[in-house]
Formats: sequence, structure tokens, C-alpha cells
Amino acid sequence: MIKIRGLGKSFTGQDGSTVAALRDVDLDVGAHEFLTVLGPSGCGKTTLLKAVAGLVPWDDGDILVDGAPVRGPGPDRSVVFQDFALLPWATVLDNVAFGLRMRGVGRAEREERARSLIATVGLTGFESKLPGELSGGMQQRVGIARALAVRPRVLLMDEPFGAVDEQTRRLLQEELLSIWEEHRPTVVFVTHSMEEAVLLGDRVVLMSARPGRIADIVPVGLPRPRAGDVGALGKSGEYAEITAYLWDRLRAMHAEHRPAGAAS
Amino acid sequence: MNARDGVVKVRSDVVKVRHGLAHVPAAPVALAAGAAAWELTGRLADASFFPPISTVLARLAELTGDGTILPALRDSLVNLALGLVISLVGGLVVGVAMGRFRKVEAALGVYVYALLTAPSLVFAPVFFSLFGAGRGAIVAVVVTYAMFVVIVNTAAAIRSVPAHLVEMARSYGAGEVQVLLRVMLPAAAPMIMAGARLGVGRAVTGMINGEMFIAVVGLGHIVTEAGGRFDSASVLAVLLVVIAVALGAVALVQAVDRRVTRWVPKTSRGHR
Repeated sequence: MIKIRGLGKSFTGQDGSTVAALRDVDLDVGAHEFLTVLGPSGCGKTTLLKAVAGLVPWDDGDILVDGAPVRGPGPDRSVVFQDFALLPWATVLDNVAFGLRMRGVGRAEREERARSLIATVGLTGFESKLPGELSGGMQQRVGIARALAVRPRVLLMDEPFGAVDEQTRRLLQEELLSIWEEHRPTVVFVTHSMEEAVLLGDRVVLMSARPGRIADIVPVGLPRPRAGDVGALGKSGEYAEITAYLWDRLRAMHAEHRPAGAAS
Repeated sequence: MNARDGVVKVRSDVVKVRHGLAHVPAAPVALAAGAAAWELTGRLADASFFPPISTVLARLAELTGDGTILPALRDSLVNLALGLVISLVGGLVVGVAMGRFRKVEAALGVYVYALLTAPSLVFAPVFFSLFGAGRGAIVAVVVTYAMFVVIVNTAAAIRSVPAHLVEMARSYGAGEVQVLLRVMLPAAAPMIMAGARLGVGRAVTGMINGEMFIAVVGLGHIVTEAGGRFDSASVLAVLLVVIAVALGAVALVQAVDRRVTRWVPKTSRGHR
């Protein structure tokens, strides 16, 4: 579904020095797979996601989605942003319908589709509210509904639950799992939480920092569907084993970077 | 026990007084106080160039009654409206271009900031020779007074549109025009309206200055004539009319502002 080969990107700092954000990244994401990307901050995981979204250019390598090279944003992909990125002046309905509007879908059809997605994320009754009147968790539900409304084949999620509190996060994870289990889009989900990466993903891609590259890919054998009780999964032996392994690797990465004074 | 009761009582009184003040309408009280101070100063000073407000109001009624004010006011309002429309439309277009494109900003920035700070009346002879002593010259003065502050505010507003909203729109395939219309202009609206409010105030100044110093028409004509006769009651009477015009124009902009920026959280405005 998604094929990334030899992806490299560097940023030029204010002082003219270049920092390698991504180097030699090879990655395949299968159709209908739920892939989570885990790594310390500054490892380039968000850059990787935005490159796949077509929002940032890169220097080397190729990204193919369904065999077609990525040249910019496309209707096959949609993004759920960490900071929600809702239009503060637009109602919930208009925000959810925004992507459809940009793609030229007529008013009646886009509102109908928006209403059905609003129902999917449990926000029926809030159609005419403004984002400022909603809690963080509800705002991200709007963000998810907006991304799903355009019926993407690939859903790109950039630390979507990073800005909400712990309980809300847990609820949103369960809802996302049940939406995914029903519609089965391909998901690339970036997070800095080991627990989240393991609970949601079919595989966990572990990235290291400076330069950002793939350090490991860990398959998660937890049974699906997982939507019912994420909490119980968290108590299973396999879950404990994988998170322990990931933690070892992450700790080793931090240790590697500390002498250089680059601890993040 | 009693002492404590006393403290509590005093506090509740303080609260009551504060509460009472919160209900006093600020603007009318301020106006009444200003009028009283004017009246008092005018009477006590007894200077011929500073008549009390009662004399000025009487003169205003006279000037209105004998048909001096209304035709002049109509003339002035037409000048103001024309200049304001040109300033707002031109300011919006140039400001958006400057905020959006670095090249445009680099090219026009120096002119805009120069003209923003230049005393606009120095261009009076230029306009006079270009447009003659008529409406054109006055409208041009209004525009030089009002347009640049609109440009500067609009450019700053466009530059401060959150980048993540633009990125979000692009992720759904939005093009330049869609980003501008659906994201940038709505996001920039509150700051653009603030610029428009400043522009309106300056436009009124430009109108009266243009009418006094270039083409002697409208309200400016009355001021110039009365000033020549050292008739300060008439000058101040017209000043009251000009202030009313300015407040009316600002109220108009505010009415639009309220519609456009209804989404701005109330807490960031401050109601106290």
C-alpha cells in the first residue's frame, strides 16, 4: 500500500548547519494495516508522516502509495493533526465537511456525509457548536471525523491523542480501534507513547534520532478485535513483553545520545 | 464572634459597591462628566475663544436651523464615504498581497511605511494640481490618511494566520485561492477589522483637513469661515458634528466587526 525507499531529508538551521532529519528510511505498510511509529522526540517521525501526506518535500528517495509516487497531498490520504487544526470560526458540521468542500463536493452531499461521520465519532447534537466550545477530546473527534469524511485509503495520524488527558486518551483509542475495525483504512499512527503504540498497532516501527532512521520493527501479536477492552489487553503477558523490549531499546538510544549532550 | 461578623459585613458592602459600579454604563457617564467639565471651564474661564457647551449647542441649533449644516454635512459624508471605500478595498488588496508574498512586501513596504508616517497634508498641493479644487482632491486626502493603516494591519493579520491551519487546508488539496478565502481571510478578520476601525478614524480627520485646506467645501468650509471670524462657538459646533460623524462611522465598522468575529472567544476581550 505504502512503499518508502531510501527516504532522506535534512533541515538547514538558522546558523547554516544541516541536520539530518531522516536518513535511508525503507518502510512498507500493508493494505488495511495499522502501523504505529514510535520514537523519541526529534527522531523525525512527524516529518516522515508529513512526507507521506505530501505536506513536506524531501531530498532523497521515493514514496509510493498504491504504486503512484507521492507529489503532494492527494485524495487517497488524509491527516489527523496533533493540535487538531480546526477552524475556530466554523461549526463542527462545517469543520467536518471542510475536506469535502475543498474537493468540490456539493453542499447537500457533504453535509449528509459530515452528519454521518459526526454520529460515528459520537458528536451528534454538537453540529452547530464552535471548536472553542468543545473539550480537547471532542475537538479531536471532530478532527478524526473530518479526516474520515473524505473516505481516505490511508489515514495518517500525527500524535493525535498527545494533547488530551489520560482518560480521554483511553476512550479515544478504543473508539479509533472500533472505527478502524469497521472501515479498515490503512493507518500510520505516530506516537511517543509505548503503551499506545503496542495497544493499537499491528506492528510498531521504532525510530532513532539524529539522524532519524528505523531502528527496529516489532510485530504485535495481540488478538483483534481489541476495541472492546483496551485495559484488559494492557494486562496480558505479550503486551508486557513487547513494552519491556521497546523500553530497553529506547533507553539504550537515550544512553547513546547522552555523551554528545543531545539528550532529548 | 462579633468582630468577625463586622468584618464579614464590611466585605459584603465592598462587594455590593463594586457590583453597583459594574452596572453603571461607562460611556454615558463619561460623556456627561466631560460636558459638565466643559461647561464649568467655559463659564469660569470666560475666555472668548472657549465658550461653554451650552453656547456651542445653541449655535449648533442655529446653524442647523438656517440650513448651513445639513448641505455641508451631506457633502462631507460623500467625500468620506468615497475615500473610505477606496481605502478599505485598496488596503485589503494591497495588505493581503504584502502579507502573502515576501516579494510584494519588500517592494511596497518602504512606500507604505513612509506614507503611513508622513504628514498626509504635505501632499495637498500635489492633489490640488492633479485633481483641482474639487471632490477628487479631498477624496485623495482621505485615502492618504486612511489607507495605509489598513494595509499595515491587513498585512500583519495575514502573516499571523496559524501555519497549521494552512497546512491542514493544503492536506485536503486546497489551492491558493481556497486557502486565501476559506482559511486566511477568516482567520485574519479580527485584526483586519481593527485596522479598518483605525482607518475610519483617520479618514474623518482626512476629510475635515482636506475640506479646510484644499477645496473649501462641506463642514471644513464652515470651520474655515468661522475661524476667520474668530467665531469659536461655530467652530466647536461643527467639531461636535464631526465627532458624531466619526463615532457613527466607527459604530458602523463595529457592527460589521461583531458579525465577522463572533467566533473570537469572549474571554480574550475582557468585559470588566
